[in-house]
Amino acid sequence: MGEIVGGVGVPHTPHFPGIVERGEPLGQELRRLYGTAERHLAELAPDVIVFFTCDHYNIFFVESLPVFSIGVAPSAWGPSDYLELPHYHVPIASGLARRIQAHAVRSGFDVGMSQEFEFDHPVTVPLHFLTPRMDVPIVPVFIGGLVPPLPPGWRCQALGEVIREAVERIPDGKRVAVVASGSFSLEIGGPRISDTSHTGVPDPEWADRILARMRAGETARLAAEATEEQLTQAGNAAGELLTWIAMLGLLGGGNPEFLEAQRDFGHAYGCWRVGSPPLAAVARADGDMP
Amino acid sequence: MSIYAVNKICYRVVREPQLREALSGSAAEAEAALRAARPPLSGEELAALLAGDVGWLSKLGANHFLLHQLGRFRLLGLDLPTYADRIRAAYRQGR
Repeated sequence: MGEIVGGVGVPHTPHFPGIVERGEPLGQELRRLYGTAERHLAELAPDVIVFFTCDHYNIFFVESLPVFSIGVAPSAWGPSDYLELPHYHVPIASGLARRIQAHAVRSGFDVGMSQEFEFDHPVTVPLHFLTPRMDVPIVPVFIGGLVPPLPPGWRCQALGEVIREAVERIPDGKRVAVVASGSFSLEIGGPRISDTSHTGVPDPEWADRILARMRAGETARLAAEATEEQLTQAGNAAGELLTWIAMLGLLGGGNPEFLEAQRDFGHAYGCWRVGSPPLAAVARADGDMP
Repeated sequence: MSIYAVNKICYRVVREPQLREALSGSAAEAEAALRAARPPLSGEELAALLAGDVGWLSKLGANHFLLHQLGRFRLLGLDLPTYADRIRAAYRQGR
């Protein structure tokens, strides 16, 4: 039986690897935040990572726009969309990916199968920071979080749950971790960009509310609030939250061990461990100390 | 008029270096590349792309994820600051 051990959620801003590489002022903070997630993932010692991502119109556009799809190729190269970023061949646990996809479909969850593709930066930027040796194969799960109509939050939570069922049916005892990739409030190139950039954070209050829900372990409430209307209001990339909701569905809820926002960017970094005590309980215990 | 043709051009520029080269070259080169697009662009779409009028294309319903690639790759006289200025102008000055 496969064991789900925990997960991390991170952003994938394409400029971040260069900012760290060049030692720019923000780089130190990025090293700390991605480093926290990297160490957490290393402690989880996964054999496989289920990786939730939203294609940025790089894989799916012409032939088909799947709402959900699982990549089953043996490996994939990327990023296809930013040639200036470090490039990787990312190993894929294709056997497990096929099992998960088959289990989802047979359970009534209509998830497509992608057999040949290149990854874009939402996959390679997190892996660049989290598993730069590319020594842990992934199961890429694509969620159509950027292309309206968006799937509802509750449906993405259910996607995570059906993948958990599939993992629990693996005959051998693989350790499975989860990564979610994306922002909470972000506009790229649209009417709600800031006065100084081609991007913007249209709804920072929504990003704050997401963090509060996650800290409280209120996944179902967050999923119910993550309607298409709310996500659209938070920007044309705000549907990336759905990757985090799917991750929380897969983890079966729980409170983060670490959760910190970069509020000006409308995104955050979070670490979950299956079976860890809730942050609130830890805080209460600390408060009880004489 | 199908904005899909505009979106598809922007999708292709990420994947096709030759198209990027044509759209950053002379006006004649750019126009020839755009006229070869399939599905074909409408006359208005073609003119707006050649003029780098991303504000108008945005209001027509072009996808901003895709449209901003014209600025990112410095095509059709755009760069990211110019792209952003034109989007802001389209929405913030009652155009």
